[in-house]
Amino acid sequence: MSIDSHPTHHAATAGPLVLEGRGLTMRFGGLTAVQGVDIHLAAGEVLGIIGPNGAGKSTLLNLLTGIYQPTEGEVLLQGRSLKGMAAHDIAGAGIARTFQTSRLFGSLSVLDNVIIGMHARTRCGVLTALLRPAVSRAEMKRCAERACALLQSVSSDLHQRRNVLASSLPQADRRRLEIARALAAEPRIVLLDEPSSGMDDRDTDALIADIQRLREGNPALGFIIIEHDMRLIATLPHRVMVLDYGRKIGDDSFEAVRRLPRVQEAYLGRKASHA
Amino acid sequence: MQTTTIQAPPQAAPRSAGSAAIVLGVALAGAVLLRQFLLAESWITVLALLACFAVALVAVQKRPLVEDRIVAAFGQCRPLAVGTGVVLALVFPWVLGGDSYAMHLMIIACLYAVLALALNFQLGSANIPNFATGASYGIGAYASALLAIHFGVSFWICLLVAAAVATIFGFLLGLPSMRTRDSYQALVTIAFGIVVHQLLMNLEWTGGANGLVGIPSPTLFGHSFNDPITLWGHSLPGQANFYYVAVALLGLAIVSAQRLHSSRVGLAWNALRDDEIAARACGINVTWFKVKAFAVDAFLAGFAGTVYAFYVSFISPDNFTFLVSVTIMTLVIAGGMDNTLGVIVGAFLLTMLPEKLRAFSDYRILFYGLVVIAFLIIRPRGIFPQRVRNHEH
Amino acid sequence: MHDALFQQLINWLTLGCIYSLLALGFSLLFGVLQVIHFSHGDVAMVAPFIALAAVQALAAALGGSAPWLVLGLACLVAIAAVGGLGVALDRLVISRFRNAPAMMPLVATVALGIVIRELIRHLYPQGSNPHAFPAIAQGAVPTPFGPLPLISVVSVLVAVALVGVLLYVLHHTPMGMRIRAVSQDRETARLFSIAPGPVFRNTFFIASATGAVGGIFLASYAGVVRFDFGVQAGLIGFSAAVVGGLGRLGGAIVGSLLIAAIETIVQGYVPNGTSYRLVFVFALVILVLIFRPAGLFGVQKMEKV
Repeated sequence: MSIDSHPTHHAATAGPLVLEGRGLTMRFGGLTAVQGVDIHLAAGEVLGIIGPNGAGKSTLLNLLTGIYQPTEGEVLLQGRSLKGMAAHDIAGAGIARTFQTSRLFGSLSVLDNVIIGMHARTRCGVLTALLRPAVSRAEMKRCAERACALLQSVSSDLHQRRNVLASSLPQADRRRLEIARALAAEPRIVLLDEPSSGMDDRDTDALIADIQRLREGNPALGFIIIEHDMRLIATLPHRVMVLDYGRKIGDDSFEAVRRLPRVQEAYLGRKASHA
Repeated sequence: MQTTTIQAPPQAAPRSAGSAAIVLGVALAGAVLLRQFLLAESWITVLALLACFAVALVAVQKRPLVEDRIVAAFGQCRPLAVGTGVVLALVFPWVLGGDSYAMHLMIIACLYAVLALALNFQLGSANIPNFATGASYGIGAYASALLAIHFGVSFWICLLVAAAVATIFGFLLGLPSMRTRDSYQALVTIAFGIVVHQLLMNLEWTGGANGLVGIPSPTLFGHSFNDPITLWGHSLPGQANFYYVAVALLGLAIVSAQRLHSSRVGLAWNALRDDEIAARACGINVTWFKVKAFAVDAFLAGFAGTVYAFYVSFISPDNFTFLVSVTIMTLVIAGGMDNTLGVIVGAFLLTMLPEKLRAFSDYRILFYGLVVIAFLIIRPRGIFPQRVRNHEH
Repeated sequence: MHDALFQQLINWLTLGCIYSLLALGFSLLFGVLQVIHFSHGDVAMVAPFIALAAVQALAAALGGSAPWLVLGLACLVAIAAVGGLGVALDRLVISRFRNAPAMMPLVATVALGIVIRELIRHLYPQGSNPHAFPAIAQGAVPTPFGPLPLISVVSVLVAVALVGVLLYVLHHTPMGMRIRAVSQDRETARLFSIAPGPVFRNTFFIASATGAVGGIFLASYAGVVRFDFGVQAGLIGFSAAVVGGLGRLGGAIVGSLLIAAIETIVQGYVPNGTSYRLVFVFALVILVLIFRPAGLFGVQKMEKV
């Protein structure tokens, strides 16, 4: 299947700016993983991030989600600065993510994994659970119902197997579950970290279709996708950002970006770009 | 680590009669087994009963359909199950024929079951090692004892105050444990336990190595717990009073465990056990939830400590050593982490067994250690391993 | 220099070296092999008992002559035996939990410790009572600062020598290299045909034997040994290893010296200090772990996200 076999969605999205990162820099001792990167995402937009290995893509993602605090620069979510916020608070503020190596809660069921995704939207604490069990039970019931519906919308197959242990799922289903869990948090933005890694062509096509379906169901939801698979990058994102050695070397539509000499150089090396 | 138990979606099992029969049958069988075990005199009887129990257990667990049916039955007939449990608990001392030694065993077993349930929040649900449960137990006991001896505070108020004091200790313990992991975290809790134990040993106002004596007997509406209970001409020894308190506490612990387990809190604990980073990404404040686990553990342990102090009316630091904490850990792990029933059965079994095998007298402790090791090798997931939550009732 | 200060310094060094011998075993096992072995302290304390038994057997055989030879041989026998015991325990019990979640080996080895203590208590005649342990070295060397007990000299020298041997073995012998390879990445080491079995055997032998030396010196220093000394010895050894950072041999030594320092200071200068020394030691442990959660020299494992 060639890169151009999927209909591309490039309708211009003039939504408001949801996420903004200004001058993001991350230094680990002597190593600068990310250097002065500006990033922005509008509501409903899909941004792809590509770059050779070690370019700083995952680091950038970790900066946006609060796992690292930027050495310089700041992240703004709907105008609100996320500086100094802990990862769990940022998740609650509306940034959800998946992980390169699917981090599921293996000892729990598929349904429970999705319910946990709703943690930031629920409120029962220890005292409520102990002293007002009816409230706690009602909350859990609501979560279970919502999680069921969410699973159904992501994949009816997963919905069927909602009581199965998450650790027993095959790779493609694990990704889907992670995405369902991320959506459960009712986020503004979903960050996908190499969602197609470990997948073959067929699974990747299914993944692309899944994400497109999700976008149709949640038009205001923004996506940032780190990827290596060019099929995915060519079809899904409105814009593609290219990182190399921690710096941004391109930020435009895929067509424009793939022709940039700097980008070609980064991927293919100097000689090929002069060919 | 996790075996992939694919659990079929719960079927709508035939209700009422069948399920009720199952509930009553299992509850009665359990009660009878317990009674015989407690009253057994010779070690042959004890081992025979154990063998029966083991056989029944293995038979059920080898047939997942049977197991699921039993669990479903209890889920459907919840009021009946609770009612049966309450009735059995109330009637039990009479069934024991007023044997005070048997009742003593039950009280201690109940207290350890409470302690094991307390630790289960941390160890079972959240996989946080905590070697200081014994210290929380001791702080609860000492707080009550001091209040009762020096200020004449009543048992019932002591329960609450001591639990509160222990909870504060739990928070203090939780805070340094936030940044540590695994062996390092284990050591922090061990260190706390030892510091508490040594302080209790050395401070004058805790009675030093001699401990505290003369804790007064609790009273309820004028009835002193030292006095026997008399009903329709039959009487139970004074211990029965403490038995009822201990059982009530166990009931409270079970309810707490269930409520927390099935709530957002229990799920969060399980999540951070499986993957802390993913848990954070889901909005879980991992640090705060870990501290909460410490606090809940300490709270229940403090309760148990109060009951213990008033029951034995004399406590010393050596009742609350590192080895006590280790014992509690063993109960949780052998019983089945994050499984309420498993933890209780494990606690009962491992608390009563050394006592019932008095024939081995001096070799008891050695035997206990060997049993634990054998258990862990043969059944690493515990007597009743963790079950997947059921959301469809 | 004050005589008293000199004495305290000597106490500190001696105790620190003895603790090092115990801590090194923990660091090797926990840190290098990621083996949780809570009964290491109890295993180490089996050595003085074997030594005592051997002394009696040898003394009977040699008819009361050459007491130093008898003691020396007995200690060597004990050290070798305990080394073997460590290996045996691994084969029998600990190895079964190699791939189990961390709580299993933890509880299993705690139970193992109980079993070891009870076996000592039952198998050694009058095991419940404390037994006098002969001094490894008696007398003192006069120095300008005061008498320098020979036991201290011997302890320090032996500890230093052992650490030196250990470091040499780990860094300059093929076996040591294999041990370090397995500690880094067991699976990859396997791919390079480093069988984990012999590595674990050797490490357990070395760790247990080192612990045995520590146990013997501890018994000699205290003058007495009891079946349950292993609990405290194990706790202190473990704490020293953790405080220093598990897997860092240098850290284990620093941790041991730190704990020995606290103990000596508290015993010497705090009124009623002896009974409170453990409070201070473990309060220190808590403090260190608050500020350096992976120990003083430990490396905080960073998970790649």
